[in-house]
Amino acid sequence: MVVTVLIVDDHPSFRASAKTLLEAEGFDVVGEAENGETAVQAARELQPDLVLLDVQLPGIDGFAVADQLRRLEDPPVVILTSSRDGADYGRCIGECGAHGFVPKADLSGAAIAAFFAA
Amino acid sequence: MSLSQRPWLYFGPAALAAGAVGVALTLTSDHEEHPGFTIALALFVSMSFVFAGLIGWTRRPTNRTGMLMVAVGFGVLATSLYEANYALPFTLGNLVGSLFIAAFVHLLLAYPSGRLISRYGRAIVVSAYATAFLAPLLDSMFPEQHTCKPHACPDNLVFVSHNHAAHVAETAVWTTVAVALFAGAFLLLIGRWRRATPALRRQLRPVYLAGGLSVLLLAVGFIVTPFSGVGNTVVSIALIVTFTAVPFLFLAGLLGTTLARSAGVDAIFTSVPERASPGEVQEGLRVALRDPTAQVAYWYEEGGHYVDVDGNRFELPTDTRHRVVTSLDYADSPVAAIVHDPALREEPELLAAITSAARIALERDKLLVEVKARAERYRAVLQAMPDLMFRIARDGTYRGYNAPNERDLLSEMVVGRKVHERLPQELADRVLAAGQAAVDRGTPQMIEYALDFTGETRNYEARFAASGEDEFLMIVREITERKRQQEELQASRARIVAAGDDERRKLERNLHDGAQQRLVSLSLSLRLAQNRVHSDPEGAEQLLDAAREELAQALEELRELARGIHPAVLTDRGLDAALEALAARSQLPIEISGPAGNLPAQVEAAAYYVVSEALANVTKYAQASAVEVKVARMNGIAVVEVADDGVGGADPLRGSGLRGLADRVASLSGKLEVESPPGVGTRVRAEIPLE
Repeated sequence: MVVTVLIVDDHPSFRASAKTLLEAEGFDVVGEAENGETAVQAARELQPDLVLLDVQLPGIDGFAVADQLRRLEDPPVVILTSSRDGADYGRCIGECGAHGFVPKADLSGAAIAAFFAA
Repeated sequence: MSLSQRPWLYFGPAALAAGAVGVALTLTSDHEEHPGFTIALALFVSMSFVFAGLIGWTRRPTNRTGMLMVAVGFGVLATSLYEANYALPFTLGNLVGSLFIAAFVHLLLAYPSGRLISRYGRAIVVSAYATAFLAPLLDSMFPEQHTCKPHACPDNLVFVSHNHAAHVAETAVWTTVAVALFAGAFLLLIGRWRRATPALRRQLRPVYLAGGLSVLLLAVGFIVTPFSGVGNTVVSIALIVTFTAVPFLFLAGLLGTTLARSAGVDAIFTSVPERASPGEVQEGLRVALRDPTAQVAYWYEEGGHYVDVDGNRFELPTDTRHRVVTSLDYADSPVAAIVHDPALREEPELLAAITSAARIALERDKLLVEVKARAERYRAVLQAMPDLMFRIARDGTYRGYNAPNERDLLSEMVVGRKVHERLPQELADRVLAAGQAAVDRGTPQMIEYALDFTGETRNYEARFAASGEDEFLMIVREITERKRQQEELQASRARIVAAGDDERRKLERNLHDGAQQRLVSLSLSLRLAQNRVHSDPEGAEQLLDAAREELAQALEELRELARGIHPAVLTDRGLDAALEALAARSQLPIEISGPAGNLPAQVEAAAYYVVSEALANVTKYAQASAVEVKVARMNGIAVVEVADDGVGGADPLRGSGLRGLADRVASLSGKLEVESPPGVGTRVRAEIPLE
């Protein structure tokens, strides 16, 4: 079964790179969103298995988006990502309902799959 | 035992003996028509002078007035020799019979000290003695044809002739001389009266009145005697009255002094209140000494000088004819001094009695005056201070104040009012609490407050210190300007901190959004390329091309960012080169003048950011066609100026950029000015001290 992915990030260059990378590793990128509001909307419509969610978004940030996503009827797996280190965010990552955190520079199909399997 | 100490012992008996001889000579005289009357008058007059003189002599051994009066008395007694029935005493009586008049003139002119002080006076007295002896001598040598009644006169031993012409000539000469001398003496008395101080006049008045009148009458008598027998009699009676009055008036003056002395001492002890102020004591002394101009000066130990009753420094005058100083010492240290009329020296008992009585009062007052002098000094210090000062009782009643600047007073009604009547309730409560705390704990207190005056609010700082058991001093200083500067400084510091935070936030954001994102992309591209390098070498190469492009952009963004943090050229090559680099990057023509040379690094950085920010504003808002940048050193100040020819109208307070620059310049004690009249362009000028 192919895992469907929604990529949420305000930087188009990252979205493009991540899409290429994940698709090359067998994921199906079903959609992209550039901010929190459209992300929740897209997740409701596309029902992806996984949301790759940037922490620093314009408007509501990634933590708030993660919190909203877990309240959906069939909540997706949420993986937060950032060009910063996960430690910079302290306990926020665990408390907002996200399933994990992957630094952007370390993004790979294997890193994602590890969380997904768990 | 000397004559001056016990004049009674010698002159008393001598006068009585001379009187007895006079009585014997007169009553046995065969050429005296009215022996009883004559001797009675002679005895009355002579004894009056002798005994009044002896009383004065005893009381004032150093004053010669008494001695002179005794002399006048004996002179009068000597006239009795004329009554003798024998040639020698009769002739002698004729020759010395007028000497008492000279002695009388001497007495008057020497009064009250008994000493002749002017040359003019001495000349008159010497001439009077000479005339009193020579005139009768010549008159006896060339007498008028006259017969003694009821019997013939005894022989005149110096008789020369009855030459009428000679008699008339000598009479005319001596009458003229005598009248001239009397007139001279009279004028001298008038002159002295006019120059006399009030206290001296008081002494002179009775004696001068009778004596001066006597001299006048003597002169008149000399003139009328040759012409009118009746006139002569009238003048003689008047003369006897005035002449005889002199010793009694003198005695009255002396007794008056004694009375005045006791009254004076009394005045010091009774009429001056027990807790009299120094001013009241001075007034009491004036009354006691009968000298309304007398001044009391207190010795001020701490200052080493005298002070007056008000506590002001007082220099003792040197003795003159009008003012003399009597010092009051106690155990060899000065207590006080009285500056008074020199005439009081002629009443030494009065002065001594009063001053010794006063010494006690003055010794006590000295402390009071010292305290007053000290208070005076403190007052001067307080007045010199720029602060508003209030003396307030513990219950809040104002007791006094000192306001160098009246505008600081809420109202001019101060003394007697209460703090709650003058100040807003809340402030009055704080003032009273702080003042009472200062009194109760003995430690100074301080409060700060603001007051609203018409149109402005002023800040004050009030300090409180106890100034007595039940009062405190409130010292108020306006600190509006200080407060304003403090607030400005705090605001400026806060803005600098905020600007720093802001800068860092912006930097982090720029790094995150720019270079960091590019590097993330680069990382992902490299991973993709790595995955494809075997399966799709062509695709991998494309990815690596894109990655290199991404890397170049990331580097460029990092360079730009680093320049924003601190321009490397400024550190490496100085302000001139940094400004050239700024100009080179600008799209507008920029003229840079005045190479500044080496400036302190902080000043160079501030100057650079002023120019950089100003140029950025010009580019953004000014619509200018040219910009001029000047950097110069002037009198230890670096002046940086950026002027454009754009639209102007910039508000220096609106943009955070200019505000931040002003703070940066202010942190170096400099100032930033922006002139931007609409339509004329904008001129930003910073002046930064080099030290």
